[in-house]
Amino acid sequence: MNSMTCDVSTGEATEFLANYSGLLFGSGSTCVRLEKNVKRMAQSIGLMAEITILPRHIHLTIRRAGSPEVLTSITSIRDVPINFNVITSLSRLSWALADREITFREGIERFGEIERMGGTAPGVILLLVSLANASFCRLFEGDLTAMAIVFVATFAGFFLKQTMAIKHVDARIITAVCAFVSAVIASADNLFSLGASPMITLGTSVLYLIPGIPLINSFCDMIDRHYICAFGRLMNAVVTLCCLSFGLCLGMWLMNMGMF
Amino acid sequence: MISQFLQDAFFAAIAAIGFASISNPPRRAYLYCALIAAAGHSSRWLLIECLHWHIAAATTIASFIIGILAVLISPKTKVPAETYLFPSLLPMIPGMYAYRCVGGLALCLLHQSESTFMHYFYLFATNGLTCFFILLGMAVGATMPIFIMPKISFQATRNN
Repeated sequence: MNSMTCDVSTGEATEFLANYSGLLFGSGSTCVRLEKNVKRMAQSIGLMAEITILPRHIHLTIRRAGSPEVLTSITSIRDVPINFNVITSLSRLSWALADREITFREGIERFGEIERMGGTAPGVILLLVSLANASFCRLFEGDLTAMAIVFVATFAGFFLKQTMAIKHVDARIITAVCAFVSAVIASADNLFSLGASPMITLGTSVLYLIPGIPLINSFCDMIDRHYICAFGRLMNAVVTLCCLSFGLCLGMWLMNMGMF
Repeated sequence: MISQFLQDAFFAAIAAIGFASISNPPRRAYLYCALIAAAGHSSRWLLIECLHWHIAAATTIASFIIGILAVLISPKTKVPAETYLFPSLLPMIPGMYAYRCVGGLALCLLHQSESTFMHYFYLFATNGLTCFFILLGMAVGATMPIFIMPKISFQATRNN
């Protein structure tokens, strides 16, 4: 297969590139990686791609060099959890296509396999996140009692998050409820005078709910001058933070912890 | 001092592994995320505790170190730099500043006197500004190596 011929039609290539964009972006890729990957694959079969990234949609325009034919596809950004394994696999796929190691037809099949890729086992994530948040408590100079309470509060909150996510409860409600539950459990440190750092216990108990990757992605997109997308991602993160603060404040008020 | 430095690196590594697991990196990436996060977070600790730098400036330098390490390791393991970069940055996310900022803003609305309002508005502004500049510093510091070495960064997953 030379660079200007392809085993799929322009329409099929456009559909594939649109689906690829929706999955890559939904999995937590930055705008700059999305643009580079899609343009690389399109160029390998003599197509030119222009991408407009909106907060919930991707607008892809494909044109064949030297041809008046222009195809436009608007695709929804996939509502999938952040998955760096998918980003890695999709980036490899883009190079395999660009370097013509595989045909476009094989690329479409491989894309289907990537779409069906699973994540880490929920039980393992639950344990690792609880340990991570307890370590976080230590980084903020919490004592051993605080670490143990944060571990329990995170375990309970994250387990609830996983359970509610399976039942397709709205992500914003999940954040508020989990923050409330973790804050109430963490306030045991103050209520029963268990440790020397009750406010650190309370403050770090909800840090697992902070939308870290969307916040970093938002600022990276801003630096790359993708302002609309950066703003969209920032707003999503701010809404999550508002829900987290609501749950935390409610828990603090209920347990008579005082506000900040 | 050395014990505190090592503790900071150790707990940052565990935090990076745990928070990375939420975003499903490839299995072989966990070890590198832990090492890079330990290097970055302990550098920040040194800058804040020993050189008395502001947290935003220290985070920018620490993020730059994390970015350099992520970009250099990524082609050796055929994984995009972000896979190491973002999870390694997570222990430095200004989470407490972020929700204290939002909480402060909400409590401004519930004020009963001017002094209470000013207290919560102060909390909102200081936490919000610190959070914003830490995040900006993180993004600038971490992405600078990607733009300095674009060939390495964007060809990391290429086979030849």
